Amino acid sequence: MNVAWAVFKKEMRVYFVSPLAYVFLGVFLFLAGLFFYLGIVQTGEASLRVMLGNLSVTLLFLLPLLTMRHFAEEQRAGTFEFLMTAPVPLWALLAGKWAASFALCLILLACTGIFPLVLAYYGDPDWGVIATSYLGLSLACSAFVAAGLFTSSLTDEPVAAGLGGVLVLLPFWVSGTAADMVPVDSVREVLRHMSFLTHVEPFSKGVVDSADVAWFVLFTFAFLFLTWRSIESRRWR
Amino acid sequence: MISAQGISKRFGNFTAVDKVAFEVGKGEILGFIGPNGAGKTTTMRMLTGFLPASEGRAVVAGHDVFEEPMEVRRKVGYLPERPPLYVELSIGAYLSFVAEIRGIPRSKRTRRIGEVMEQVGLVGWEHRILGSLSKGYRQRVGLAQAVIHDPEVLILDEPTSGLDPGQVAGIRSFVRGLAEDRTVILSTHILPEVERLCERVVIIANGKVAADDDLVSLKNRVGRGVRFLVELKGSSEAGARIPQLVGALNGVDQVKPLGDEAGVVTDGFTRLEVRAPTDPRTAIARLATEQGFVVRAMERHEPSLEEAFLAVVGAES
Repeated sequence: MNVAWAVFKKEMRVYFVSPLAYVFLGVFLFLAGLFFYLGIVQTGEASLRVMLGNLSVTLLFLLPLLTMRHFAEEQRAGTFEFLMTAPVPLWALLAGKWAASFALCLILLACTGIFPLVLAYYGDPDWGVIATSYLGLSLACSAFVAAGLFTSSLTDEPVAAGLGGVLVLLPFWVSGTAADMVPVDSVREVLRHMSFLTHVEPFSKGVVDSADVAWFVLFTFAFLFLTWRSIESRRWR
Repeated sequence: MISAQGISKRFGNFTAVDKVAFEVGKGEILGFIGPNGAGKTTTMRMLTGFLPASEGRAVVAGHDVFEEPMEVRRKVGYLPERPPLYVELSIGAYLSFVAEIRGIPRSKRTRRIGEVMEQVGLVGWEHRILGSLSKGYRQRVGLAQAVIHDPEVLILDEPTSGLDPGQVAGIRSFVRGLAEDRTVILSTHILPEVERLCERVVIIANGKVAADDDLVSLKNRVGRGVRFLVELKGSSEAGARIPQLVGALNGVDQVKPLGDEAGVVTDGFTRLEVRAPTDPRTAIARLATEQGFVVRAMERHEPSLEEAFLAVVGAES
């Protein structure tokens, strides 16, 4: 546990001593502001529905950039050899890295907290719905970070890892759209459930379904498990 | 403390390390030498547990590397060929991360980091960013990282490559100081380094152990042994007989002319390589006085590790 904590602190430090975290924060908040404005203009209602929906798709494209360096850079810099010859269990390394990226996501989301405050000033937003929306977004972040970690473990090229992360996540977005085009009911249902949007949407309506929560948690663990396997297999090659 | 028992590593069809076996005892500094690509780094990676061996077994600090990897990791300090540094971090932040991972309790961390920074010559550098350091300083941080937990076993992969002579001397005395109650494997292809630091040498070539011996006997056994170089000059007809005269001296085993077939070099001196179990120089000097030869040189040549190395590796490849 101490080791995971040490890894977590190190990753956070690396984020904040390099420009990455700040650039990321800037881009993310700019887009969030844009979606907030467009949402209000389009719907005229005091809600974050449009903004949060768009943000989840934005995160799909942006988060792999945040996670791409995790293993790729360690491989490249030779620090992976250090970690694997120090008493660092693989699970602690994974947990520390996942937690650091997830924590950074939570910081990003916390920064968008200004928008509900603006809503509260001018209108009367439903705080329950806003809370569940943020819960949904956090769960999506957890899943995307895990997928990004996985692609980062596949290569020692951070850029390839980042783009690969987007590539791995894309099917889990477009399958929702693809589902509408499929005439076969059973296939349509499977495709619909593959899409993370299907599982984020209820949160933005204030509905917390344990099935949706489970979907994201399973997604996270599945990719962390794949990351584990990929790192183990790298050593044997 | 370290026992490699026939470890091999195959990458596909390529055998990088082939049934390598050797032992290193406590307090010993083992020089691990070999040409580039001989399998030194791969062997060390197997001993640290970074790479699983394709066959064989290794025991380090009392633990099987493959069965109890965490125990081994705790007791080994390892400096890979390229110091494993996080370029974004400062020296202080990096070392405290390493100390934390190495399980050094918080209360002792600051003191311990101060100690190792002093040992490797980094006092006052804790705020420097690793990415901005020169090669010598990176190497020092790498060493600090390897010794921070006071390991029983140290595995150093080319710790002095690319350093200036002053830095090399510093690292050498540091390693010697460490070795007193530890076990050190030092891989390098800088042979004078090995001659100064190690009592024992393992030469690895083409993935196999080509020689495993203590330094002195390796040099005498494999190398060309002690020999003497003499340069003498006499009148033209006496000069032609110098090789025979020297060869006839008591105790001289072998005389090899180094110039033309009579050993004469361009300026008229006769240059000879003389082999003898005991120092023949007094006898040669006496001979020169009797015959009226001019003596220009009489040198004793110790066998060098380089000769032994080339003899062993040359025979292998």
